[in-house]
Amino acid sequence: MTATPGTTTPRATVDDIRRAVAQVHDPEYPGVSIVDLGLLEAVRVDEAGHAEVDLIPTFSGCPALHMIAGDVEVAAAAVPGVAEVTVTWLTEGVWSPDRLTASARTTLAQDFTVVLRRRDGTLLCPVCGSVAVVDTSGFGPTRCRSLAWCPDCRNPVEVLR
Amino acid sequence: MRSWADLDELQTFLDGGGIIEPNDDIPDAYRQEVFRFIEFHANSELMGGLTERDWIPRAPGLRLKQVFLAKTQDEIGHAHLLYMVAADMACKTRDEMLTDLFSGRTRFHNVFHYQAVTWADQIAIAYLVDAAAFASQRAVFAECSYGPYKRVLKRIIAEEGFHMRHGEEMLLRIAEGTPTQRAMFQAALDRWWWPSIQLFGPDSPPNDPLLAWHIKSERNEVLRHAYVQKYVPLLQGYGFDIPDPDLRFDEGSGQWQPGTIDWEPLKATMRNGGPDSRRRIDGAARNHEDTAWVRAALEQAGARLARAAA
Repeated sequence: MTATPGTTTPRATVDDIRRAVAQVHDPEYPGVSIVDLGLLEAVRVDEAGHAEVDLIPTFSGCPALHMIAGDVEVAAAAVPGVAEVTVTWLTEGVWSPDRLTASARTTLAQDFTVVLRRRDGTLLCPVCGSVAVVDTSGFGPTRCRSLAWCPDCRNPVEVLR
Repeated sequence: MRSWADLDELQTFLDGGGIIEPNDDIPDAYRQEVFRFIEFHANSELMGGLTERDWIPRAPGLRLKQVFLAKTQDEIGHAHLLYMVAADMACKTRDEMLTDLFSGRTRFHNVFHYQAVTWADQIAIAYLVDAAAFASQRAVFAECSYGPYKRVLKRIIAEEGFHMRHGEEMLLRIAEGTPTQRAMFQAALDRWWWPSIQLFGPDSPPNDPLLAWHIKSERNEVLRHAYVQKYVPLLQGYGFDIPDPDLRFDEGSGQWQPGTIDWEPLKATMRNGGPDSRRRIDGAARNHEDTAWVRAALEQAGARLARAAA
């Protein structure tokens, strides 16, 4: 899409682009927006319709970065008035689980049995609510998760770190 | 703790969509059957992860190395979760399951009994084999009656969906490649088409306990047929030939009909007598021995931390 000066192409706003980016889901958590995961840091757009989207990776070695950037580019480019999109993975600033919204926490716990460590260091079982969950391994299926076990309902639990 | 007077009562509970939890009084017949299924799945994830690992140094380019690193970690992580669930069923300990796997006493998916010869084989595996595994896992998740397994499957399926996108990307890239690259993929397709079809297994027996107890939600032949309908036109659309001379499109039903499926290769892999079974199993066993010091070190460190905290 190209913005032609002098025509009535609408100006895209930062909010329009944010809303479009919020439709992008994490490839490993279908149903969870990358914005709710706290990956979106900033959006800028100029008069020519050049949008810049800055993202923060959970882990710099995350293998989904390329795919997420591609999805974000497609989503932002579809916003009327956007002529060009630049997606940047920031190398400064650190992602932490604190950046998750309440809704992302709920979905991860209920749909994926993935929880965050609480302030006092304990883990709350997403299946039965027990606080007896114990860490079992620092090595989970992805860089951003470790493994734990709930001895009460006897289910594996994963911890987003 | 819930309990069921007999298998008929259990059947009524399961047919009503009931989910069994570990603290229930689980009838032994159900426990054994479900345990064996989860153990097979766990073994397959572990053997699959080791296969992916072999290709990390040979993957062309940093990005694909990253993808293969991640896939390896995913599969090993899935195995880890599944062995936790299986060990909790108290039929075998985790060590017993691993010992049985490494000594060839238990089974794992047929597709990990073949050698990946070139990079194109890895693409065929990512595109075809992962898709077949994904389809059968989704069918297990759909009605899975064992709670902890269903929860783990949910995450596995989300991650396999991600692997499939990588497979599609890689296939697109080689399909748009040079004639040599396309020929490489065709050769790989010739090697992997039938094992992918055979992965679904022969037609389900009439009284398959896995279907009755809502572990599987769909008969093998139905899943296999749907897979053929999807992948024949896709691969042909990219200009590749399906290595099945008897494959035909039935105008009446509008369905693709494959030729007769030879089940002997599948049976051989289930006896751990496939073309690459010996090397795969020995390699996995050696890998386990070679990494014993890592587990010992982690255990020692864990014990030290526990003492410090006490």
